[in-house]
Amino acid sequence: MAELTLRLITPDAIVLDTQVTSVQVPATDGLLGILPRHAPLVTALNVGPLTYEADGKRESVFVSSGFAEVRDNTVRVVSEAGEPPAEIDEERALDAEKRARRHLDEARVPGAPQIDVVRALGALRRAQWRLRIRSGKRL
Amino acid sequence: MASVKELRLRIKSVGSIKQITRAMEMVATTKLRRFQDRAIASRPYAEEISTLVGNLAAVLGEDLDDQPLFRPGKGERTALLLVSSDRGLCGPYNSNLFRELESALRRTDDTSKIDFFVYGRKGYQYLTGSGRKIERFFVDPQLEKIDYRGAARVAVVLREAFEAGTYSNVRVLFTAFESMARFVPTWIDFLPIEPSSLGGDGDATEAGGSLASGDVILEPDAATIFARLVPRYLETRIYNALIEALTSEYASRRMSMKNATEAAGDMQSELKKIYNRKRQEGITKDLLDIVGGAEALR
Repeated sequence: MAELTLRLITPDAIVLDTQVTSVQVPATDGLLGILPRHAPLVTALNVGPLTYEADGKRESVFVSSGFAEVRDNTVRVVSEAGEPPAEIDEERALDAEKRARRHLDEARVPGAPQIDVVRALGALRRAQWRLRIRSGKRL
Repeated sequence: MASVKELRLRIKSVGSIKQITRAMEMVATTKLRRFQDRAIASRPYAEEISTLVGNLAAVLGEDLDDQPLFRPGKGERTALLLVSSDRGLCGPYNSNLFRELESALRRTDDTSKIDFFVYGRKGYQYLTGSGRKIERFFVDPQLEKIDYRGAARVAVVLREAFEAGTYSNVRVLFTAFESMARFVPTWIDFLPIEPSSLGGDGDATEAGGSLASGDVILEPDAATIFARLVPRYLETRIYNALIEALTSEYASRRMSMKNATEAAGDMQSELKKIYNRKRQEGITKDLLDIVGGAEALR
């Protein structure tokens, strides 16, 4: 079966460097599937799961924004965060979710400062994705 | 000349200083290795980001001039980030940095137009001591505990200050790590970004060529990706500068502690020699007294 190389690079480490048969990245306009011999591509990424299939198994890794570049049958994903399910801190994500919801509720009061709404929404999305990937359910 | 007792005390105190400096040397060595590892670990990310920036800049070509971060700011002032250390006992690390700063300031016409952003307590003390205005002193996280997100926050502060229009440019002064024995205070022109400073190696420019010719799919489009990419690029530059400064600091500290340990050892053996001679003199004198006394009694 044709394969392509997937590399996931974060500021702290190279999280993944492996041969896979397909990759799905959370592009800004929705999930984007990449198969071997894909045309060269550069895309910006959202928060979400980076899913790949190798030896018939599907794995998902949490990525938090970043970029993906396809070139020479290699997918290079650069992201600030790259966390396999085992590395996701569930408690922290739950806390972050609660905190974000509280901030959103507080912002709903008329006259409350609105500056942090975007931030809270971002935090909420990150926390929810982390929890979903952690739970290991098929995404 | 000191008495035998005083000499003994001094030998002891030199010995305990030697123990302390040796311990500090060892601590510095481990920390140095840790920062070096982190510098190496962050390199692939930084390289990938800067290659992407270079390639996309090639795609945008002329349009690059419309990007606000590539043009001098509207303001007249200059923002300067000074990366120093939190603690002393690191040899000439900080004084070299301040000397470079002073000589650069002498070359500028109007130093009142410079606002300082500082990382590291020593730099803060130095600047307040010389009566300069500090715009922002970064303390959280502590320099030594810096991670990518901390560095990213510093980059955001600088970028937002630039975008607010107060400054015409932003520069960074930090200590570059060239080798275990060479650390050079170095300037980076952080903002506006020089297009000539972008772009990677030969491989990257080739890829940039194929990008420019439209053979590459861009999602959603070059300008959008670029706008998201540039802040990341700035973050990697700051992170890199901070990690390199920390590596230099610890290499410098290790070296000065090593010298101190050696100097203490030399001093110890020197004192030991004097002490032994004194002790022998005392014994000889005592013996002479005893012999003299015995002779007199006969």
